[in-house]
Amino acid sequence: MVESNQILEIQNLEIGYPVSKSTFFSLFSGINLSASKGELIAIVGKNGVGKSTLLRSIAGLQHSKKGQVTINNKLIGDYSRSEFAGLVSFVSTEIIQVNNLRVFDLVALGRFPHTNWFGKLEEKDINAVNKALKMVGMERFAHKNINEISDGERQRVMIARTLAQDTQVIILDEPTAFLDLPNKYEIVHLLNNLAKTENLPDGKVGKTIIFSTHDLNIAIQEADKIWLMLSDGITEGAPEDLILNETFNHLFDHTNLNFDKIKGDFRMKRKHSKKIGLLGDGIYYTWTKKALERLNFSVDKGNDTIPHVTIEEGFWSYKSDENSFQVNSIYELASRL
Amino acid sequence: MLFFADVFLGSVKIPIKEVLGAFFSDNSDFPEYTTIVLQFRLPKALTALFAGFALAVSGLQMQTIFKNPLAGPYVLGISSGASLGVAIVVLGVSSLGIFNYLGILSNWVIVLAAWFGSGLILLLIFAVSTRVKDIMTILILGMMFGSATTALVGILQYFSNETMLKAFIIWTMGSLGGVSITQLYVLIPSILFGLLIAFLSVKMLNALLLGENYAKSMGLNIRLSRFLIFFSTSLLAGTITAFCGPIGFIGIAVPHLARMVFKTANHSVLLPGSMIIGGIVLLFSDIVSQLPGKESSLPINSITALVGIPIVIWIIVKKQRFSSIS
Repeated sequence: MVESNQILEIQNLEIGYPVSKSTFFSLFSGINLSASKGELIAIVGKNGVGKSTLLRSIAGLQHSKKGQVTINNKLIGDYSRSEFAGLVSFVSTEIIQVNNLRVFDLVALGRFPHTNWFGKLEEKDINAVNKALKMVGMERFAHKNINEISDGERQRVMIARTLAQDTQVIILDEPTAFLDLPNKYEIVHLLNNLAKTENLPDGKVGKTIIFSTHDLNIAIQEADKIWLMLSDGITEGAPEDLILNETFNHLFDHTNLNFDKIKGDFRMKRKHSKKIGLLGDGIYYTWTKKALERLNFSVDKGNDTIPHVTIEEGFWSYKSDENSFQVNSIYELASRL
Repeated sequence: MLFFADVFLGSVKIPIKEVLGAFFSDNSDFPEYTTIVLQFRLPKALTALFAGFALAVSGLQMQTIFKNPLAGPYVLGISSGASLGVAIVVLGVSSLGIFNYLGILSNWVIVLAAWFGSGLILLLIFAVSTRVKDIMTILILGMMFGSATTALVGILQYFSNETMLKAFIIWTMGSLGGVSITQLYVLIPSILFGLLIAFLSVKMLNALLLGENYAKSMGLNIRLSRFLIFFSTSLLAGTITAFCGPIGFIGIAVPHLARMVFKTANHSVLLPGSMIIGGIVLLFSDIVSQLPGKESSLPINSITALVGIPIVIWIIVKKQRFSSIS
């Protein structure tokens, strides 16, 4: 990245929250991170590690104990309230449920820093709201109540609100929680597109979008950079770099999860107690193997000297010293083994 | 919108005149008729109208800032503060004989006592709200202040004589008729000022619909918004409580009615909407309290509840859900 493209810099930040007047509960310290224009950044880490607190600290919603956050080379605390609202927008995990609040009106609230004291929407504000709705594909929903749309649609509307706020940096706390799989992919893909194509107020291309997520495989596919919060420190890098240098493996240390470098996802460590042979190939082989592994078998490809399963045309046959049988489905095979 | 209010005021005032005309039809003494209309009916209708405005608007503000559909003008403890002020004057000081010496309890003294009491609670709320970040803590503290003052009032009631007790109980029942024209010169400007602040906070109230975090992320000055909204609510609810006693129900129910009627969450519509509906409901309640045709009207507090509760029940049953704002 070219140095001049950098927008956000975090130096030696210590985050947490005050427990009482004199004591501060420290969640995470020594945070050094940076973000550039046009980057989609995913924060990944275990529950409770401090992802939300970090996001809220960057968004200026929470005081940090020490260290500094600078945006465009200026400390976030040095911005005036309205300047900062024109620079950083925020979507939290709360589900907004307000009766009779129309999608259009919710998105229009994003114009708050740009309108006068009475919040009157000028033509440019209405255009900005319509443009934001269009960018997230929700323009047909403008006159619906927010209680009448699905969770995925509501998340799009919340993103549209940040677009209407027209900020260089957008921060989202777990935007993919509560969503089904296609919606998770679509939302993150949408964020990626926005980061790449959206114009900034200064005419340059590329918003900086920072979001936290537990959907690691989606983050790996879409994010330009991952901020990986491990219990002993925070690492940043392209997702591919973090896979290749095995940093991801440390994310769920002390659990039964293993990071699969090829598939880019975590899977359960299995204790394979019995060996079984499997004869066959193609997609039937792949899925039969998965089923056998789920049953804690260690699969030995092509070995017919031990008890083994042979994949035939449309059925499976099992053969061991004690017995042999034929079944018509994997379910049946599993229940017989 | 004010035009609307004027039209409704007119339409409601006419039946009052008709009732009056029918009541005095055999009485041909015309000046007396005018005197009653101007000195008694008109101030009463104006009081009802402005009390309706004030209570509905302050209720709406409280429901939004606390994101709680059950909040009303008195959640901050304002009416309890006013009650304490009045109780101290009516039950405490007067039993020492100071006001008995003057013959009757001055209306103004009660008003000032109530104002002073609610002002005191307001100061406490301000002191708390600059230190406490969480808005729900303020709500709970407001209710605690309210309970504490109610307890003090209870002690005062326990030690006071029957006559004074009755005077106090009657005050708590609320009355729109006790406000003189002179007092209207204080009441109306106070309410207008409170409403003006409320209208200035429309944008802030809209931002607060999403909660304080979102409001803050959009650049809202939380302290300023709390100050303006609490100040407006206290001025509106405190003034009405001072002059009319604690009138219940309007503040909680009317904002919900406004949401149902106008089908929006936008305060630039809801605020004038609540105002108008509040005025209508209280004027209507006032007419109902006149219906028995007796010289003294029924306590307005009972009427607002009896008129309003069927409306709300009907809405709940029909819509199957109460308009929640949280």
